Order: sequence, then C-alpha cells, then structure tokens
Amino acid sequence: MTNLRLRIGLVVALVGIFAFLSLANLVPEKTRVASPLLPDSGLRLGLDLQGGIHWVLGVKLSAAVEHELEFLGGNLQAAAESGDFVVGDVDVEGDTLVIQAPSKADEASIREWAGNSDVLREVTGSEGELRFQLTAAWSQEVDRRAMAQVLEVLRRRIDDPVRGIPDSVVTRQGEDRILVQIPGGQIDRSRARKILEVTGFLEFKLVKNAAPSEELLLNQYDGKLPDDTEVVYERDKETQRVVTAYLVADTADLTGDYLTDARVGFDRQQRPIVEFQFNTNGGAIFSELTGEHVGDRLAIILDKQVYSAPNIRSRIGTRGQIEGRFTMQEAADLAVVLRAGSLSVPVVIEEERTVGPALGADSIERGIEASALGLLAIVIFSVAYYRLSGIYASVALVANLLLLMGLMSLFEATLTLPGFAGLVLTVGMAVDANVIIFERIREELRAAKAPRAAIHTGFNKALWTILDANITTLFTALVLFEYGTGPIKGFAVTLSIGVITSVFAALVVTRLMFEIYPGGRHIDRLSI
Amino acid sequence: MSFFEVIPAGTKIDFIGRRKISASISALVLLVGIVAVFTRGVHYGIDFAGGTEMQVLFTAESGADEGAIRSVCNACGVKDASVVRYGETDQAEFLIRFRMDDAGERAAAVASADCPLTEADRASLAEAAAAGGGAGDVGEKGELVDRLALALTNAVGPLEVERVEYVGPRVGAELRRDGLYAMGIASLLILAYIAFRFSTRFAPGAVLALVHDVSVTAGVFVIFGMEFDLRVLAALLAILGYSLNDTIIIYDRIRENMELRTKHDLVEVLNQSVNQTLARTILTSGTTMVAVMALLLVGGEVIRPFAIAMAIGIVVGTYSSIFIAAPTLLFLETRLKSGESSGKARK
Repeated sequence: MTNLRLRIGLVVALVGIFAFLSLANLVPEKTRVASPLLPDSGLRLGLDLQGGIHWVLGVKLSAAVEHELEFLGGNLQAAAESGDFVVGDVDVEGDTLVIQAPSKADEASIREWAGNSDVLREVTGSEGELRFQLTAAWSQEVDRRAMAQVLEVLRRRIDDPVRGIPDSVVTRQGEDRILVQIPGGQIDRSRARKILEVTGFLEFKLVKNAAPSEELLLNQYDGKLPDDTEVVYERDKETQRVVTAYLVADTADLTGDYLTDARVGFDRQQRPIVEFQFNTNGGAIFSELTGEHVGDRLAIILDKQVYSAPNIRSRIGTRGQIEGRFTMQEAADLAVVLRAGSLSVPVVIEEERTVGPALGADSIERGIEASALGLLAIVIFSVAYYRLSGIYASVALVANLLLLMGLMSLFEATLTLPGFAGLVLTVGMAVDANVIIFERIREELRAAKAPRAAIHTGFNKALWTILDANITTLFTALVLFEYGTGPIKGFAVTLSIGVITSVFAALVVTRLMFEIYPGGRHIDRLSI
Repeated sequence: MSFFEVIPAGTKIDFIGRRKISASISALVLLVGIVAVFTRGVHYGIDFAGGTEMQVLFTAESGADEGAIRSVCNACGVKDASVVRYGETDQAEFLIRFRMDDAGERAAAVASADCPLTEADRASLAEAAAAGGGAGDVGEKGELVDRLALALTNAVGPLEVERVEYVGPRVGAELRRDGLYAMGIASLLILAYIAFRFSTRFAPGAVLALVHDVSVTAGVFVIFGMEFDLRVLAALLAILGYSLNDTIIIYDRIRENMELRTKHDLVEVLNQSVNQTLARTILTSGTTMVAVMALLLVGGEVIRPFAIAMAIGIVVGTYSSIFIAAPTLLFLETRLKSGESSGKARK
C-alpha cells in the first residue's frame, strides 16, 4: 500500500511539474523570464505560426574561386614583370586560369611560378596555352573563407546594434547555404532583400568624363571605350532612368574595405545622408587622392551604381559622405550595410517560406481547434465505449498531452503547424495503446477470468504489442526529424516526443489508476 | 459479462478465404497507379518541382475571381500561372503558382509593358531589383512576387500577401532526392526491426503489407492527380510507422494461437486470429481516424494534404493487415513449407 502511495505521489508530481511547464507558456515570455517562480524555458513558435521570413540563401562559391584565380593571375603578371619572363593574356574561364605563353622558356617559368605558388595544379592545355586549376585543398580553403566571410557580413547586417532585427537567425546550412530566419512582421520582404542581398561594395573612382547618356559619352571616343575604363550610371531615383553616364577607370582608387564606420547624418537642407569614416590607411589614400585631384569629380559607386559624383573642393582626410536623396530608412539601411562590409561573393535566394503574421495567428487558432476537437471526440468515444476504463484512458490522455507539452517547453522545442498535426495524431495513437489493453482485458473477462487477473494479463500481454507499434513509429519520426526542414521538422518533434509520452501514459498512468481502483479489491464487475 | 462492442465477440468472418479477391483489388489499384505515373505523371507540389507560390487575400468587396487574377498574371508576362481559390469559400483568398526558371522569360516578364503598374510602382520595383547585388536571378525572382502583388492591387483590388514560398530548381531536386533517402532509410530501419522481432516466416508478410500501404496510398494520390509535396511525404513516413501497428496486433495473436495448438489447420488459425483481434484493429484505426478527421475538418488548408494522405493510409493499412499480411503468411507456409512443420515463432 505504501508502495502504491509512493507511486501515485511520483506520477502526480511528475505530471504536475510538466503541467506547470506547459501552462507557463500561457504567460508571455518576458514575464516568465523576469519571474523567479516561472520557468524560463518555453515552447518556441515556428515561423509558420508567428509569421516571418525564412530564406535559404545559396552562396555562389564559384565566384570566390574566380576571384582567387584573378588574384593569382595578377600575381603572375607582377612576377613576370619583376622576373625575366613574358606572359601573354591571362584569363579566368570558370574554375580555370588560362595563360598564353609566348615561348617554351616562358612556359617553363610559368610552370615554376605555379609550382612555387603551392595552390595551383596544371590541367591539360594546348600549344602555347597553359591551364591551371586550384588544388583541391586550396579550393576548399577558398570556399571555407568565402562562407565564413559571407556569414559574418550577413550576421553583422542583421545583428547590427543600432538597427538589428531581434531574434533573427543566420546560420550555415550544408556546404554552400545560409539559413536566414526573421520572425514576426518586423520587416517587410523587399526591405529585408535590400539589406541582405545587396553586395554593399563601395568604390571611389575619379571621373574621367561624363555625359547625359552612354551614347553621347561614347560618341566622344568614336564609339569605343578607351582601354582600362568602364561606364557607370547615375539614375533618377523616381524613374530609374539614366541621368548621367560616367567614364571611370575599371579599377577603384579606393574601396569600402577601409571603412571603419558609417552613420546617418543630415545635409544643410536637413536631408538624410550617409557619413562614413576611413581607417588610417584608407584615410591616407583618400587624402592623397583628393589632394592631387582638387577640382576633379569623384564618383561614389555602390554596387556599380553611382550615388553621387561631387567635385573635390579640397584635400579630405578620413571622413566623407554619400548623398543620394535617401529617405531616412534608406540612409539608415545603407549605413548598416556599409558598416557590415561587402559580400565577397553574391548570394541568391534558393528557397523561401514567408508567412504573414495574420496567417500565422490563424494557423495557431486552427491548430488549437483541431487538437481540442480531436481530444474531445476521442474522450467521448473512450468514455462511451469503455465507461470507467474510458475515463481512465482519458485521464491518461490528458496527462500524456501535459507531459508532451511540458517536455517540449523544457527542451524549448519549436511548435509548427504540422507540429499540431503531430499532436493530434499523438492523441489518436495514444488511445490506441489503451484500446489494445482494454480489448485484451475484455477477452480475458469473456474467458471468465476474475477482473483482477484479467487486468493483470491484459497489461502484460499488451506490453510488447504496444512497444512494437510505437518503436516503429518512433523510427520514422526520427528519420523525418533528420531529413525534414522547418515546419515538417516540427511534426517530427511532436510525433517522436508524443510516442514516448503516450507509451508512458498507457503503461504507467492508466495502470496506476487500475491499481487504485479496483486495486486489491474483489469486484464482480469491471466497468470496461 | 456484456460490453458495448463494435464487433461482437465470436464474430467469424472468412477473411482468408477472400484472399484472391483482396489480392486482385490491391494489384488493380497498384497497376492503375503505375499506369497513371507513366501516362499522367506525378503531380509534384512546389517543394519537389520548384517554383513560386503566393497566397493572397483580397478584401471581400474586390469581387476578385480566378479569371481576373489570371489575366493580370498574363499581362505581366507570368505565363501558365495556376490560380485557384483557397481556404473558405466566403473569402476572396487565392493561391497563385508559377514556375519561371528561365532567366530570359523572367527578364521578358519584368520588361512587360502591359502590366497594370503605375510609374511609381515601376520605379520602386526597379530600385529593388538594382539592389539584388548583381546576381540577376535574385532580384527578378523576388520582383515577380512584388510585381504581381502591385499589379493585382491596381487591377483587382487591395490585397494582402499572406504567404510566399519559393523553391529553386536546385533545392527542389535535393528535396526529391532526400525524400527518397528518407523513405529508404525509414524502410530499412523498420525492416531491421521486423527481422529482429519476428521469425523469418512472419517478416515477409509484414514487409509486404508495409510496401503495399505506402505504394497504394501514393498510388491513390497519383490516380486522383492530387499534389505530392513535403506534407504528403511526411504523412507517408508516418503511415510507414503506423500501418505496422495493426499487422503487429494480428501477428502477435497468430503467434499466440500457433503456440496454443500443436496441430492446426493454418487457415483456421489465421481466420480465428484476425477475427479475435478485429475489434481492436478497427478501434485503433478508428480512433486515429477520428483524430485525423479533426485535422481534416478544422486544421485548415495547409494541413489538409497531410490529413488526406494519413486518412487514406490508415484505411489501407488496416485493410492490408487483414487481407495482405495474414494471407502472405499462408502463402509462404503452404508453398515454401519444406521439412519444418511447426517451427515456433521467436518471441
């Protein structure tokens, strides 16, 4: 008897703790964390329930390899100039560096240079043309660095101390993907795209010439661009039409890599501008550049778009500003992007699952309704069909749900809409265990066994059937957890925890109730 | 002692005697399913096929209908968009789907002059596209969604974009591949478990029933042209785990009855076992079905494909435990019986 009391106490305490953990979710998280009595941990809501942006960004690692090859090509040309050999054209074709070698002696020198570089391996070329690719090891290293850089920059853009987005997630996913999750309706899609996808590559170039259109500009050079130059455009903000075409050098005089800070400021007319500051090295270059070219125009170019091209009035040191007829928000977002630095390789949205907050709230409502309806229908069935034993089964079912929600809260698991489906399915499957036990007990009773013996046999014989049935379900739930993404993972989570708690509920909680009544009493009829 | 019973105790239905009919039905469904796969193909949802899906909600006064939305899509160069009414019928809620992987087509759509957009709309779209850091497909992908939203607002009425899903071609292919892996790994785990729990005489029937349930459920989806996406895959995996339950109940009973009698007529033992466990086979499936019905009725559109697949799977799973798993045992015992006469099942 004391043994029974102890077990009742243990089960009640356990269910009570998890009930407390489950119900604590009704209290807002902030209050919960602030309160010393309430648990800090609680259920997380998936983005499909609270609304938000879910993006999987693909990182174009091929671009990182190209950059690396271009850099090595530049090194080779520098080596050729300082050494005594000649190289012809150096091109990057995808993942291959293609070098034209004028003579056999030059070929040998190029091979020697490549051998010394330690990062190139030769692939079959043709007469007078050498081809190199990155070694596997170096190629991996280049990819690794690019991923780390992109991840870091995107994190800084989202976690910016001033304009960061709370609770957002930026994590690596697989080889070349980055998962971005921004919960709630904090930011609309198009603004999020502007902040995340923009390369943020800032360049400063002296203006060689300018005209209202590319055609007019090129007419001055007989329709052909001079060597080592390119044309960049300034567009009207409203219509996006080209206002001015600028002829500039194809390499930048100074880039945003030297920036230490960028912030919103205002010009004399109180229009928002972005003020920036260079580090010492950048400041030195900027000061020399502006000092030598007083009176010339300097184009400030962000991702190939000219924002402004002011005249240089005097030598400027470490500070500058970008005017672009910004709105306050645009200026602030641009400052964030400049502070975070530019992406070394582009990113592309490969997968998107964005849910508006209204739809999310609607889904929560539907999930709760479906769970409540499922629970109610099954409780009605159990009690109608199995009477007192049905009440036992229903109590076990509620205990099961409390344990499930409590465990999920404890582990801070994420509840999604398919997670609700897992919950409802758990309710349906949890009662299966009771059905198996009760049907077995009925069978024993039909064979004229005494109620107590029938209960005993019923539980014992049903044990393995119940375990078998639930273990196989657990297998598939675990596979689904490993494979599934986002909302589907939520289904796997509720299903796997639900399988475990429902076995516990049927084998421990229901059984305990039978031990309380009829327990050791001799009864003639068992209500089942 | 009397109980409230769905299946009266002592029910004797000759299930095993009807094995030829049941085998024919299953074979027929599978055959039609396979033919449908080749003739009509599998109707993949965007998870597996790739593409863009927008769920939009118009105000009730807008009087929006499929035709109006479709013509705006066409005007904006988004060809072959599928537009269907979604959710409750009293709401002007629609699902717009399109797939435009070809960069040229997308560029043409962006350039389309017929799109009902104001100058200001075009300017803001162009600006957003310019932001898409040089990688053209980024800006354009997002832009088609924004572009359609603006055009629909102008031409049809105020709307809210409730959900946007986009799956790129690479991700779609990966999800298809991973989905197959998941099915494969889950099947292997369950096979290993069956091998561990059942003797060699029981295992083939359980495996056959399992394969039967998943293929028939998938087959029904293909035959009725229902969409196959991640939610359906999740349901198929859940069925894989769940459908074994009834088979286990029946097999456990067969094993028990075989141990009780040393000399037995196998057909009689099988029939007896199926009949003895019929109530619980039906009740366990019934309760789970009740829960799935709750999902189907109030769970909403997003859950519906999952609930439908689960419902089919539960029915098929119960049927197969009775009509596939038990007869397979009979088939193997009579055809492959060599020296061993009553090899006891492992427990």
